[in-house]
Amino acid sequence: MLGSTAAKHFGFNYIKLPERRPAAQSRPELAQSPGTFLLLLPFHGGLFKEKTMTEAVNQLIKREVETVVIGAGNGGLTAAVKMAAMGKEVLLLEQHNLPGGFATSFRRGRFEFEASLHQIADIGPSSNRGSVREFFEDELGVFLDWAEVPEGFRLIITDPEQELDVTMPYGVDAFIEALEREVPGSREPVTRYLNLCRELLEGIAYVGKSRGQPDKKLLLTKYASLLNTAPYTVDEVADALNVPERARHILHAQWSYLGPPTSRASFTIYGAMLYKFLLYGAVIPRHTSHEISLALDARLRELGGSVLYNTQVEKILVRDGHVEGVVTSRGDQIRTNHVIANVSPTLVYNHLFDPAKEVPPEALQECNARVDGVSAFVVYMGLDAPPDELGLKEYSYFVYRSMDTTAGYESFSTLDTPKMQAVVCINNAVPDCSPPGTSIVTITSLFQPETWNIPPDQYVSTKNRIAEGLIRDLEEATGTRLREHIEEFAVATPQTFARYTGAHNGIIYGYEPEPWDSLLPRMMMMDEDQHVQGLQFCGGSAFRCHGYSSSYLSGQIAALLTLRDIREEGGLRS
Amino acid sequence: MKIKVKGRIRDLLAFRRLVPERQKRFASAPVLSRGAAPINQTAKQLHPTRQNLVVSQVRQETPTTRTFRLTADSVSGTSSLAPFRAGQYLSLKLELDGSTITRPYSISSAPFEAAGADGYYEITIRKNEDGFLTPRIWENWSAGTRIVSSEPTGLFYHEPLRDGRKLVGLAGGSGIAPFCSMAKEIVLGSMDASLLLLYGSVSREDIVFCDILSGLENEAPEKIRTVHVLSSGENAEGFEQGFITADLIRKTADVENSTFFICGPQAMYDFVFKELAQLNLPQRRIRSEVYGSTVHIEQAPGYPREVVGQTFNLKVHIGGVTADITAAAGESLLVAMERAGLAPPSSCRSGECGWCHSRLVSGEVYVHPERDGRRAADKKYGWIHPCSSYPLTDLEISVPRSDR
Repeated sequence: MLGSTAAKHFGFNYIKLPERRPAAQSRPELAQSPGTFLLLLPFHGGLFKEKTMTEAVNQLIKREVETVVIGAGNGGLTAAVKMAAMGKEVLLLEQHNLPGGFATSFRRGRFEFEASLHQIADIGPSSNRGSVREFFEDELGVFLDWAEVPEGFRLIITDPEQELDVTMPYGVDAFIEALEREVPGSREPVTRYLNLCRELLEGIAYVGKSRGQPDKKLLLTKYASLLNTAPYTVDEVADALNVPERARHILHAQWSYLGPPTSRASFTIYGAMLYKFLLYGAVIPRHTSHEISLALDARLRELGGSVLYNTQVEKILVRDGHVEGVVTSRGDQIRTNHVIANVSPTLVYNHLFDPAKEVPPEALQECNARVDGVSAFVVYMGLDAPPDELGLKEYSYFVYRSMDTTAGYESFSTLDTPKMQAVVCINNAVPDCSPPGTSIVTITSLFQPETWNIPPDQYVSTKNRIAEGLIRDLEEATGTRLREHIEEFAVATPQTFARYTGAHNGIIYGYEPEPWDSLLPRMMMMDEDQHVQGLQFCGGSAFRCHGYSSSYLSGQIAALLTLRDIREEGGLRS
Repeated sequence: MKIKVKGRIRDLLAFRRLVPERQKRFASAPVLSRGAAPINQTAKQLHPTRQNLVVSQVRQETPTTRTFRLTADSVSGTSSLAPFRAGQYLSLKLELDGSTITRPYSISSAPFEAAGADGYYEITIRKNEDGFLTPRIWENWSAGTRIVSSEPTGLFYHEPLRDGRKLVGLAGGSGIAPFCSMAKEIVLGSMDASLLLLYGSVSREDIVFCDILSGLENEAPEKIRTVHVLSSGENAEGFEQGFITADLIRKTADVENSTFFICGPQAMYDFVFKELAQLNLPQRRIRSEVYGSTVHIEQAPGYPREVVGQTFNLKVHIGGVTADITAAAGESLLVAMERAGLAPPSSCRSGECGWCHSRLVSGEVYVHPERDGRRAADKKYGWIHPCSSYPLTDLEISVPRSDR
C-alpha cells in the first residue's frame, strides 16, 4: 500500500523512517498545565446557567486532533510521548483510570504488588545503556531510578529424569563459566550459541539504526547470522550447534517469557532476549512498573500532549480505507486521521471498526492466520517473614516440572496446576519494597485464555485450587514454607487482565513469534500489513513482538510511521 | 564467526522463503470475523462497571434499621447480578439535590442468594436522624425504586489460603451486615469455614438479624455461634455486658488458631484494636473492613490543627469542565467535589480502592496515614485519592470523569 516510499532491499521492503530530531531535554517533574483540550470546549458564557454542573462535567467531548493513541499501555505511552516530543499534537485515550496497562501495581494492606513485571532487559547501567534506556533518555526525556536484579535466575527442574537446581549469573563470561561447572564440556557449544546470539543482536541493532536503509552487503556478510538463523526455531539452532541437552535446559530457562515452546519459538527473539539479559543485566524500577507508567504520563503532559482516563474507545471510524476518527463508549466524538492503536489487531479488526464493512478481508485473514499469545495466572503474596527467613535468596526463580516445553505449553490448556512457574521475590532486588520483616513473592504461570471460559460460580474455587497447587509446587521445589506467612493474597486470572487492560481475551503476550511470524518477516512486511491509511499499531502485537522492552520500543516505530503518514498525507484533513 | 544452521545456501533460501510463507499463510486463512471474546465477556459478568438495580422489598429490622432487597433491573439493561464473596460491598450512586454522590454498603445477603434469574442482594442501613443521606433513603426508597450500583467490591472476605477455616467476627451495630452474609453462606451456601461472632449492640432492640443468626446457629451449631454484647447496661440473661474486650475474646474464641474480621463504626475500631493488641496476634490474622470517611479528621495523627475552620479554593479539571469551587478544611476533596455537583468517580471512600485516583496539580493536602492507599510512585508523581485527602492550601487537581 505504501510501497512508493519504501526502499527496496533484495526482495523485501524496509520502510524509510523520518530523520531523527534531538529530543528536548527536561527534568522529570510534574507538568503544571492541565490538558489543553479542555480549553477548546465551548463552555463560555451562560452555559452553567442552563445546565447543571453534573451535566456539564458529563458533556460529550467533541474535538479534532492530529493523532489519537488508543490505550496507555507500554507501547501507547511511548508512542504518545514520542509524538509529543516530535512536536505533534496527540491525545491519549485510556479505558482504565491509570496509565500502564499491564505495567501497574496495586495495594493490599501494607503491601504494594507489582502487577506483571519480572525484569526488563535492554536498560543497562548508565555506563552501558541498552536500547530501551537510550530511547527513554535521549528521545523521550524520561529518566528513571532503576534497581539492578542481583543474580540472573535460579532454575529448578523437579522431574527426576531431568532434576536440576542451578543459579545462573548474568554477564556473558560468568554465565558460560557457571554453565560449564554445571555441565562439563558445554563451554564450546554454549560459547558458539551465545556468539550467535550476540551477532543477531548486533544485526537487529544495525537494522534499527540504519533507519530502514541497511546496506545489503553488510547484512549478507557482517550480519549474516541474523539472516541465517531467522528461519529457525530455538530447538533447531541448539540442535545445529550440538548444545548438550542439560546445557540447553539452562539456556532455555526463560522460554516462558515468550510463551510458545522451544520447538516453535523463533530463535531471533529468544536469542536476542537472552543475550540482552546477559549483556546488560536486568532491572526493575524502584517503585514498581507503575512508576514507569506515571513517568511517561507526566512527560506526555509536560510536552503538551493530553491524556483522558476512564475513556474507552468503542469505534474507530473508517471511510474508504482512511481513518476518520474515534468514538468513545460514552459517545465522545474525536475527529482524527491518524490513530496509533495499543490494541491487538484481532480486537481492532473484529470489534472496533465502524462500519464493519470497512474491515479489509485480508486483515481478518491475517488475524486468523496468526497464533494468539497466552494469558497469565498470577499469585501475589505479601508474607510476614523476610526473604532470608523464608530461605529465598534469589530474585528470580523458574520452577519447571520438566524442560519438555511442549508438555509445559500443553499444560496451559487444562485447569490443572500448570507445569511451569516463574517466581520473583521483589525484596531481593529492592529490599525496602515492603515493610521490615516482610517480603513479596509473586508466582506467574501461563494459560490459554479460553481454558478459563468457565461458569462464574466456579471462578473463585478454580482460582484458589490452582493458586494452592502453584504455592505447593514452589514450597516443595525450594523447601520453603509460604502458606503460614501469607498476610496479603491476591490472584490475577485471564479475566482479571481482560478487566483491567481490556486486552483481547486477557492475552498478555502478542502473537506467538514462530519463525514465519517473527521480527524479520514482520518487519519486511510492515507496509503490506498496513491495511488502512492512518492506522498504526504498537504494543505486544506489533512488529517488535512482546515483552516490556519490545513494547516500549514499539511505540517509537509507531510514532515514526505516523509521522511519515502525516508528512505524506497531511495532518488533519478538512 | 560464520555460523551455519543447516548450510549456508539452505539458510539463505530458508530466509528468503519466510515472507512468501507468511503471505501464503495469510492468504489461505479464512475471512472470518470472530464473535465476542469469551474472556472479556466473562470478565464483564464477574466485574460489570455498573449494575442497574431495583428495590424489590423493604424490611424493617429494628426501629432504626431497614434491609433493602435489590434485584437486577432488566428494564434498564441489567439481566443478572454479578457474583460476590461474602463480606463485599456495593458502591451505590445516588442523586441528591443535583449532586451525584456514592455510598458503600456491605451486602448482608449471601452469595448463593444472588445467583440465578431471581437472584438478589440485600443491603442493611441504619438511619441516622441527623445524617444527610439516610433520612432521605427512608423517605424515598420503596419497592420499584431504581438504583445504580457498582459491581460487588472490597477486600473484606474470607480467603481460605490465607485465613484458614476458623473465623472470629467482631461486629458493631450495622457492621453486622457482612457477617450475616458470611454466616448464611457458611450454613446454606458454599463457604467452608466456621464463624464465632462477637456482636456489640447498644441494647437488645438494636440487635440486627437476631433471629436470622440464632436460626443459623440452631441449624449448624458447630459452624456458627453468636455472642451478643450490650453496652447499655441492660441486664439480660444470655447477653454479655459492656464491650468486646480482650478478656471476652479469650473466654470465647480459639485465639491461637483463628483469623479475626472486624467491621463496625469508628469508635468500635478504636476500642477493639486496643483490645486485640493485648492478644499479640500477627497482623495477618486481623482483617478489618474500611468504613467510609473519617468523621473527625482534625483528631487524626499529625493533622495541622491551625487549618481547622478555614476554607480553600479548589480548582478542578474534570471532563470538559474547569470548575472553581471551595473546600472546607476537615472535609475530603471528594466531598467538596460532590457537593459542587462534579460527580467525581469514587467507590470505597476510605482511601483503599483507588477508584478516585486523581492528580494533584498544585497545593498541599493532608492524607490520613491509616487510610493512605496510594502507591509509592503516586506519591512521587503527585497522584492522590481525593476521598482520603484533605485540603491544607488552595489546590488545583485533575480528576477523570466517572465511568459508572
